[in-house]
Amino acid sequence: MSAGFASLEGVAITGLGVVTAAGCGRDTLAAALVAGVPLARPVDRSAGWHRPGGSHCAATVDPKSLQPWLSPMAARRMSPPSRFAVVALRRALEDAGLDAATLRAGQAARPTAVFAATACGPSSYTERILEQIQEEGPEAVSPSLFTESVANAPAAQIALACGALGPNVTITQREVGPLLALRRGALEIAEGRAEQVLVAVVEELTPMEHSVFDRFGCLADAPRPFDRHRRGYLAAEGAAVLLLEREDVARARGASIKAWVRAALAAFDPAASLSDYSRDPTPLAAALARGLERAGVEVATVDRIVSGASGMPTGDRLEGLVLRRVWGSATPSGTLPPILAPKGVVGEGGGGHLAAALLAAEGYPFGPTAGFATMDPELMITPHDGGSLPPARRLLVSALAVGGAAAWVVLEKGEG
Amino acid sequence: MNVSAVITGLGSVCAWGWGVEALWRGLETGETRIGEARRFNVEGQRTRVVAEVPKPPRAVVDAHSRHHREWCRLSRADRYGVAAAVEAWGDSPWGAGLGLPTAEEGPEIGVFFGGSTAGMAEAERFYARVTGRTAGPPKLNLLTSFQLNGPGDAVARRLGAMGPVETVSSACASGGLAIGAALEALRRGEVSVAVAGGADSLTRLTYSGFNALRAVDAAPCRPFRADREGLSLGEGAGVVVLETPEHARRRGARVLAAVVGTGASCDAHHMTAPHPEGLGAAAAIRRALADAGIAPTAVRFINAHGTGTPLNDASETAALVAVFGDRAGALPVTSTKGSVGHLLGSSGALEAVATVLCLHHGQVHATPGGGTVDPALPVAPVLGAALPLAASSDPGAARGSESGSEPGSETEWIALSTSFAFGGSNAAVVFRGPSHPAGER
Repeated sequence: MSAGFASLEGVAITGLGVVTAAGCGRDTLAAALVAGVPLARPVDRSAGWHRPGGSHCAATVDPKSLQPWLSPMAARRMSPPSRFAVVALRRALEDAGLDAATLRAGQAARPTAVFAATACGPSSYTERILEQIQEEGPEAVSPSLFTESVANAPAAQIALACGALGPNVTITQREVGPLLALRRGALEIAEGRAEQVLVAVVEELTPMEHSVFDRFGCLADAPRPFDRHRRGYLAAEGAAVLLLEREDVARARGASIKAWVRAALAAFDPAASLSDYSRDPTPLAAALARGLERAGVEVATVDRIVSGASGMPTGDRLEGLVLRRVWGSATPSGTLPPILAPKGVVGEGGGGHLAAALLAAEGYPFGPTAGFATMDPELMITPHDGGSLPPARRLLVSALAVGGAAAWVVLEKGEG
Repeated sequence: MNVSAVITGLGSVCAWGWGVEALWRGLETGETRIGEARRFNVEGQRTRVVAEVPKPPRAVVDAHSRHHREWCRLSRADRYGVAAAVEAWGDSPWGAGLGLPTAEEGPEIGVFFGGSTAGMAEAERFYARVTGRTAGPPKLNLLTSFQLNGPGDAVARRLGAMGPVETVSSACASGGLAIGAALEALRRGEVSVAVAGGADSLTRLTYSGFNALRAVDAAPCRPFRADREGLSLGEGAGVVVLETPEHARRRGARVLAAVVGTGASCDAHHMTAPHPEGLGAAAAIRRALADAGIAPTAVRFINAHGTGTPLNDASETAALVAVFGDRAGALPVTSTKGSVGHLLGSSGALEAVATVLCLHHGQVHATPGGGTVDPALPVAPVLGAALPLAASSDPGAARGSESGSEPGSETEWIALSTSFAFGGSNAAVVFRGPSHPAGER
């Protein structure tokens, strides 16, 4: 292994919990992905600093959708992203055929690690503290708001909810964070430091944040991943929690293995600017090709790509060119396998992308790529049109971030 | 025993100044750099003290702004991180002497950073404007480097890293966890060189928040003292350059010390309060020692989390007693936070630099602050003046060789650094360094 790539054996994904604008649980997300329509809801434009004529929508979570899994008493002690994370945890354990009490009871012998990802953390609590400082003075700051304003609050609440005593790590690497968290979690198992790991992705979107992204010109109410006329992404919030288990542990308890984590790569392009993606795909294409080779994954054996394309003009361009380069060099025809671009539905942020990747590995059907109408002649990519696809055996999940970071994970079909 | 990583470069920015020399000169004095806040108005706060980084020397600004056009767009925390990383990386007295990498070398370099504030100080200015509290139009450029990955990404771009770049934001354990991630990446052969560290800047939000929690001492913090009343906030950055031993040997690098093991855990007990018996902290320390293949008896001194809050110091002491037994009462313990304040997410990174400096100079720096040691805490903080390691008499101490560490370890000392965070996240790092003062080599 070298240059940011890890080949993995025996790392099973056995549970998924998800909170998105579609609702709580895998079935609500699966239905949304089949529909292929952006999960856009109106945002409160009076509460931020929106530009005239800017974005009006985001894929926000309906707080009422959390109530069946989180009592009001428990919720009042948590920031919104912590609530998303704990509900996603409960749904993930349910999906895995486990409960928090069982997990808690096994901690002495088998401490569970938590690897979480978030880009901005609990933003609404941060904003409320700033408001308190400004409006009422620093002595008015609420201690409970401050406690829950730290980026690792959701990961800590996950640990509290199930008694997880293993490492508790929150990774903050923007769009790439979710795959880095999955990578770290899988490595924790593959390298013998843990038997069970919870991987969490969580994000909150406030009107103020939405307005700032809008001012930066990043947003579109109707995103068009890979489309020639793409203008921006649909901002999103929510959470996804995956339970990872060592193969023998999963088998011993008769768990349904939904997918395998086969390899995980991380790289960086220092030529990227602080606030944008790199123009040149060469370094990341080289990193991906080298990493797949060293992990023993032949490019031609990847039969599905779950792209991180969101509709961002420069981000989708870079990702498309990276994929083109890698497949162009490694396969005789240069033909890319079917490409899914779920961020057209679930938006950017909140774990919908990672959850959709797992559903793809499980063979769930996907509808047409939201917003795609015209091929970009520079990319020559036509993402999935909603037609029937054979089940994928090996999937490449891709994510690139503003500022230079990149990560890819290879998933393989499970046995569930 | 797991493979270690050698440290070939150090960099720091803190209240003592810009650069490792400034840090060590300050630590040697045994005094504190915590003082009256000047950066922002503390009117209405319960307390008024912080440890602020002084303005950078002209030479630092010139060097960075001349060579890198991004400098003017970076947040304060980004600049701390970049300055410390460039010092650790380059041809400075404490640098690793590595030039900018070629296209072939770039993928062999990773960056692992920890932090908790990033561009929050700049975001506060933006927020004040956007809500009309201060005059002037909101400027989006104040938010360009707002996100938590800002410092680590800035370091990676500046140094030309093309391997994994990962930012950890697990509150005050972030720096220690980042060093752990770097060690793992080196061990698995993902990278040959890892830049590990953290950077944070003072913000009104954290200052007000910790005051709201009644966790800040009105006086400069007094770790382990009977009358301690809380922490003092600081800012800055700490960076270590880690390499595989083979890589360092191949290029004839000067080795300052080694990271031989790391461990992490979670209390799963409370969002802010540590476990009263220090169970999570003890688990992290035990895992770090096991990872290093080193017995507790080999540890020569501890750079403690040592915040000076009543709860932390009691919980940490309980953890040390759980791991080291009766020997905890004789084991030299210091708290760098007493000197430069609590750097939050980057504290573990700066304390790693301080720990290596202690090993390098053969002495444990003192923990500033007056008052007597809390009799309820059976630990032995170094007080007043630095403690020469060669002269320290710890009857329970054993050299590394007795614990089965690598050959030649009878001439080496082992040190432990701990970091504990909101949410119960704990990290511990074990260092190994030569057991003779730098002047004797």
